[in-house]
Amino acid sequence: MPSLGHPRIAPCALRPHALGYAVVSAVQEGVAELTETVGSGETQERRDRPWKVIVWNDPVTLMSYVVFVFRRLFGYDLETATRLMLQVHNEGRAVVATEPRERAEVSVAQLHAHGLQATLARD
Amino acid sequence: MAEIRGQGELVEVLVDSRERRALLQIVDRVRPMVEQSNWAFPRAYEDDELEQEFQRLAGADLAVSRQADLDTLRSCLDQDSPIELTEEQTWSWLRALNVLRLALAERLGLDEDGWEERFSPRQHRRPPLATLHLLSWVQEELVAALPPR
Repeated sequence: MPSLGHPRIAPCALRPHALGYAVVSAVQEGVAELTETVGSGETQERRDRPWKVIVWNDPVTLMSYVVFVFRRLFGYDLETATRLMLQVHNEGRAVVATEPRERAEVSVAQLHAHGLQATLARD
Repeated sequence: MAEIRGQGELVEVLVDSRERRALLQIVDRVRPMVEQSNWAFPRAYEDDELEQEFQRLAGADLAVSRQADLDTLRSCLDQDSPIELTEEQTWSWLRALNVLRLALAERLGLDEDGWEERFSPRQHRRPPLATLHLLSWVQEELVAALPPR
């Protein structure tokens, strides 16, 4: 067994896909157009209102994994991530972030990439 | 017996050749279910128009990143050398395992909490539930082995 005492690239391949960043880019490129589409006929105040990022319970995703994903994507400490995970588990859903629409779409895309059930709704 | 452990910045997956083959077979058999899984490709919006627009912007990237994660998992298993994962590779494994578990669970109709109690201990020890449990075990151990942040 080779020494593992120092960081190095593991021998198996990491398929290049830059998780999230391509999604981020695509969402950001299109968000102006999307906002225009959605925003027609709306007041400026309504358009500017932040959006909720909601994570929904599913019966198989591991609790420990959900906590790690919340910490990784949103930078939450262990206590906050655990509280949100338990809210998802016990109540069926939790608002994990409230963000401008453009950012909220990126968050949802990243949550989907991690296999979590996530949606957006107006605050 | 397989073991997964953190080694500094790496995660070491200790599996013998028989266990590797078993995991590879599982990946190859469950992977086709992923594309047909609603849980693997959830909606972002209730509104159909907003959802279509979101899918136009982000849908293709999700499919690409998902396949890349599954490719990473498979390529790491399909080699003779020891499996030592960087943090990014570990996250690829975690995402791939999660989506495989979602697709398999959806296929099995495990759509409510408490599904475990619907089955006998014997059923839990046999495929396909044993397959789900093995994937769960690997994912749980990977999470435990990740370096603390």
